[in-house]
Amino acid sequence: MKIAVLGAGPGGYVAAIRAAQLGASVTVIEDIEVGGTCLNRGCIPTKTLVASAEVLDKAKNIQDFGIELNGSVAPNIQKILERKNKVVSIQVKGIRGLFKSWGIKILDGRGFIVNPKKIKVVLKDGSIEEVETDKIIIATGSRPAQIPMFSFDGEKILSSDDAVNLSHIPKSLLVIGAGVIGCEFAFIYREFGSEITMVEMMPRAVSTEDEEISEILEKELKKKKIKLIANIKVEKIEIKKNSVQAFLSDGKTVEAEKVLVSIGRAVNSRDIGLENIGVKTGQRGEIIVNDKMETNVEGVYAVGDVTGKIMLAHVASKQGIIAAENAAGGNASINYDTVPAAIFTSPEIASVGLREKQALDKGYKIKIGRFQFRALGKAHAMGEISGLIKIIADEQSDKILGAHIIGPHASDLIHEVALAINKGLTVKDIADTIHAHPTLSEGIMEAAEDVHGAAIHVPKK
Amino acid sequence: MNPENIKYHKEHTWVKISGKKAIIGITNYAQESLGDIVYIDLPDLDNTVDANTELTEIESTKTTSSVISPVSGTITEVNEDLAETPEIINEDPYGKGWIAVLEIEDKSQLDSLMDVSEYEKYLEEEAKLK
Repeated sequence: MKIAVLGAGPGGYVAAIRAAQLGASVTVIEDIEVGGTCLNRGCIPTKTLVASAEVLDKAKNIQDFGIELNGSVAPNIQKILERKNKVVSIQVKGIRGLFKSWGIKILDGRGFIVNPKKIKVVLKDGSIEEVETDKIIIATGSRPAQIPMFSFDGEKILSSDDAVNLSHIPKSLLVIGAGVIGCEFAFIYREFGSEITMVEMMPRAVSTEDEEISEILEKELKKKKIKLIANIKVEKIEIKKNSVQAFLSDGKTVEAEKVLVSIGRAVNSRDIGLENIGVKTGQRGEIIVNDKMETNVEGVYAVGDVTGKIMLAHVASKQGIIAAENAAGGNASINYDTVPAAIFTSPEIASVGLREKQALDKGYKIKIGRFQFRALGKAHAMGEISGLIKIIADEQSDKILGAHIIGPHASDLIHEVALAINKGLTVKDIADTIHAHPTLSEGIMEAAEDVHGAAIHVPKK
Repeated sequence: MNPENIKYHKEHTWVKISGKKAIIGITNYAQESLGDIVYIDLPDLDNTVDANTELTEIESTKTTSSVISPVSGTITEVNEDLAETPEIINEDPYGKGWIAVLEIEDKSQLDSLMDVSEYEKYLEEEAKLK
């Protein structure tokens, strides 16, 4: 069995490895770099920047921890980026090493589907190689979305691709779109010293999260002196000599040195030869797939952002595994009910399952448990007391429907609840489980207890 | 001691009237219950707030809590000192720890609030219930 994978991001490279594990002869075609957006321009670069920002924040408040610092602290963006590039390159080498170990062939070039059994690849040196295959997995990903009036120029109008490689820290930054990407960059560059203004069309920041979580994040934005203008559109942008001026729908203007446009992502489904084989796409150009990751063309699968489902690296990877197993003759299907998601703001946000409003809209009678990080000894010891854990449960069955966390290490804490939801466990199951002290995880246990009004470290209501 | 020249709300806020101006803060009982205050979300100027609704939120090392406005009005001043040193509220809840000034329209709302002796009696009753 020969399988060709078009694109080596977290969807494609994982699909390739699983296919090889199942005995297929695998060729991967990648026109930029293995690891895709996630590793080269997204998840990992931003997390190294977040790590630098966190160290800076701790250093600025070092006296709070009883440490004397003789001298000042300041971010050096060149060195921060050097570190970022080093981290990325280690991971890139790691993926290439895995490919080698599984005997996966990597072609560094751009692939075009000629027919369901053939991909033409224009290699980086301009030469052409044709790949004969039995099955194709399309994993071409997505790119920062732009609207014509805000065309990216890499100088003053930035995409997230640019924002992970800025050669200097802007004095001021206007962030259009206060979603996941916009908020992460806002906290990073605010810590590095930029004045930040965010403009969001929706009524709140991270509007896809539970409302209560958004509210707390907005307060944290305020604490950091990041200005959020919600419910407002940017209507026009004028580029000036040393700045950019944005005209807002309420008649006001915002001027900043640079603008980061983070309004979402567009799928990469053009110029890859889809029309040659008649793969069906939707309104946004997304490749339409079923829960086996099959397209309408037999033997052609699609995974990751290009399917427009849930644009998260870990969803792409799971889809990649499903596609690879099916391409190799299996019968796997995906379930999107329990997908944890994390946002690396300060503090972090993580969620899984239903939001409060979703649960009510679905007709559930719900019970909610809440627990504040500031009631945990560990949070005080760490000096990170802001945040909340919220667990939503079905009143009748006591099963957990959703969990929403804003606070230190939220992205790590969420998985206990993800497992619980995935396995249909009850609030009592979590509450009955002994949690180690002193940890942040105790907050999950307390929030579960609070669903039944029995949290120990919550005063009588 | 709880001052006599102000009115008290059952959610442990106080209001002091001077002309159309209503100065608002939290009571000594509130600051003691909250413990060390570490942050207060200063309300936005020119916003309006209704009596018995949240004026803003306050964070202590123990908990976060709503500050309920005892009267309706438009926010005309906020205590900017609280941005950097919110612990003033612990130190001087009826003085330097004031939170905001509202311009009020309807002074009759004051009638439903407690005077100091009523408030102290209310605190005693609350304590018995717990």
